[in-house]
Amino acid sequence: MDEAGTMKDKVVIAISGGVDSSVAALLLKEQGHEVVGITMCLGVAAEEGGRTKCCGPREIEDARRVCQMMEIPHYTMDFAGDLEEYIVKPFVEEYARGRTPNPCVACNRHIKFGTLLDKVTAMGFDFIATGHYARVEKQAGRSTLSLSKEMRKDQTYFLHAIKRETIDRIRFPLADLTKEEVRQIARRHRLPVSDKQESQDICFIPEEGYGAFLRSRSIDVKPGEFVNREGDVLGLHRGFALYTLGQRARLGGWSGEPLYVLGIDARKNRVVVGGKADLMAPGLAADRVNLLVDDLPERCVAKIRYAHRGAACRVALDGDLLQVIFDEPQEAITPGQYVVLYDGGIVLGGGVIREALK
Amino acid sequence: MKAIYLDNAATTPVDAEVIEAMRPYFRETFGNPSSIHSFGQHARSAIEGAREKVASFLGAKPAEIVFTSGGTESDNFAIKGIAWANRKKGNHIITSAVEHHAVMEPCHFLECEGFEVTFLPVDSHGLVDPMDVAKAITERTVLVSIMHANNEIGTLQPIAEIGKAARERGVCFHTDAVQTFGHIPFTADELNVDLLSLSAHKIYGPKGVGALYIRQGTRMEPHMHGGEQEGKRRASTHNVPGIIGLAKAVELAERFMSEEVTRIASLRDKLTRGIFDRIDRVKLNGHPERRLVNNVNISIGYCEGEAMILSLDLMGIACSTGSACSSTSVEPSHVLRAIGLSIEETRGSLRFSLGRYTEESEIDHVLDTLPKIVKRLRTMSPAYRGISAAKGAGG
Repeated sequence: MDEAGTMKDKVVIAISGGVDSSVAALLLKEQGHEVVGITMCLGVAAEEGGRTKCCGPREIEDARRVCQMMEIPHYTMDFAGDLEEYIVKPFVEEYARGRTPNPCVACNRHIKFGTLLDKVTAMGFDFIATGHYARVEKQAGRSTLSLSKEMRKDQTYFLHAIKRETIDRIRFPLADLTKEEVRQIARRHRLPVSDKQESQDICFIPEEGYGAFLRSRSIDVKPGEFVNREGDVLGLHRGFALYTLGQRARLGGWSGEPLYVLGIDARKNRVVVGGKADLMAPGLAADRVNLLVDDLPERCVAKIRYAHRGAACRVALDGDLLQVIFDEPQEAITPGQYVVLYDGGIVLGGGVIREALK
Repeated sequence: MKAIYLDNAATTPVDAEVIEAMRPYFRETFGNPSSIHSFGQHARSAIEGAREKVASFLGAKPAEIVFTSGGTESDNFAIKGIAWANRKKGNHIITSAVEHHAVMEPCHFLECEGFEVTFLPVDSHGLVDPMDVAKAITERTVLVSIMHANNEIGTLQPIAEIGKAARERGVCFHTDAVQTFGHIPFTADELNVDLLSLSAHKIYGPKGVGALYIRQGTRMEPHMHGGEQEGKRRASTHNVPGIIGLAKAVELAERFMSEEVTRIASLRDKLTRGIFDRIDRVKLNGHPERRLVNNVNISIGYCEGEAMILSLDLMGIACSTGSACSSTSVEPSHVLRAIGLSIEETRGSLRFSLGRYTEESEIDHVLDTLPKIVKRLRTMSPAYRGISAAKGAGG
């Protein structure tokens, strides 16, 4: 406690060198907490002059500079081994099976709010904070993960898989701010990162793209056949791993209705295509379910990808199998992506989409 | 409690006497030593006095001292300068697996230019065998470069014997003495070296200045071209205040060395023993006796160096580790790997390097703090919990 008798927490801010985590650090410092900045070094740094990455040398320098300006201690910690084990290896395996994984969800569960949280807890810190747009709320003694004020940037989709018991150890200083407000705060405090572009890419995918990355991981990316649902060959594709369900499929010489990827057959290196209407499905089945509440309500809202607006649905959980039936059919339900459930702004949990229901 | 600095192998604070000695050379005696006028002459006289000081400390002639910008430049100059000057004679260089990057990297650079480099292995204490050096020398060998003491594990190499082996075959011998110069007594002749790198900021002098001892008669190709400074061997306007600071630091080393060697070694031994008494699963890295008087390097099992160093720093204790994540590399220390440590052991390594201003109470404080940190961090390690449960120690 300080002289005023208020509690001062020892907080680690996971700081990436971007504007969001920098402002989050600033807010914690202004709230009077004992703040330490840690940048995770993931060992995927691009060379100087290369593409901006969440953890390249330039980014680490930015994070250090921001912390020094705020006079908070800054350290980098090595998580390259964890990234490989928990994120990259499963990512490659999922791709090899023709699914489209979301590594950021896994990173939050296993690294940021996994090994990093464990480490800083052992070092004696009370909380870990990040620059995510999300909120932790206490209701009737239980903490919940909830939507942030910034609906367009809300990142709870990426956070739904964290272990429930970690919620109490997390702070999201940006919960009540919009992205524009965050930028304004950064400018007002003359943070050198105030006008930085956001990184949208997956940090370990090199500039050369998915194909080069997957090839470097011994995934055979070679041309195969586009087929329709009946199995008729319509043309050639560049390698099944480069396609995601729902994406427009461009076939040389095709003059009919626009075609979309309906499915991926990894074993045969085939990509199934069809009309937009064929992308619609009434529901989905998911597994590897993570719950952030005691029980699921019968009705809620489900998001089937980050950019999805969310759709009203009925849910039923049987063991580790989650069934979601939408009020209206949804487009491009993609195996490997996460379905995340919401109820009135509270994140209930989610799971990995196994298949769309017919 | 004021912060405790136990990273003197990285750099040292500048001694107050050194600062005083440097002060007149910024505004009063500020001339360019290469100028003809009185301003230049005064500055020239000062740096020549400094050269005599450094030379006599090494038992060398003033003409054998070339001032540089520090240890890294001295190493680069020595290695490239000898290699380039002897292209007609040969293209083979011998060094060791535990050298500082300032030696390793110029060697790798020369490999790209067609030189062949032998990186001699070391034993589990980090020692190079002089017999290995003798055996590795061929008709094409132009340079042997082996460090005097290792900056990470503190092991002192049998430099005089290695130098003898090189001399018998007529091969030039360089040593990086950045960690020993001004810390332990020696002369260039005792070490049988032809070239020796030294730095000011490791001996309570300023950063950005050092020197290379070059035995008279050694042919060198300059690596900096420009003016005629340093007998045309190293162009660039002299860093006059820095050179004066270096000489003053040498004078202080001469004055304090014999007393410091004993005092610091006893603090080092207290720290080492204390850690072994208070923490289980600890291993000393480097040679148990033939080591720098100020170096303690240990691996603590089931505990990551990164987390330890961070926790120690937050509690006001500064030291270093063999597997720190810098912004460009997460590679574990090549030195610790070369002496046979596992990746786990390099991760759990800590280096404490003591210095002129280290006090016994600070060692006591570290011995009080470190075991608590280790105990807390080990609660994270399931493997350690298993071990301590098995032997009933209760963690």
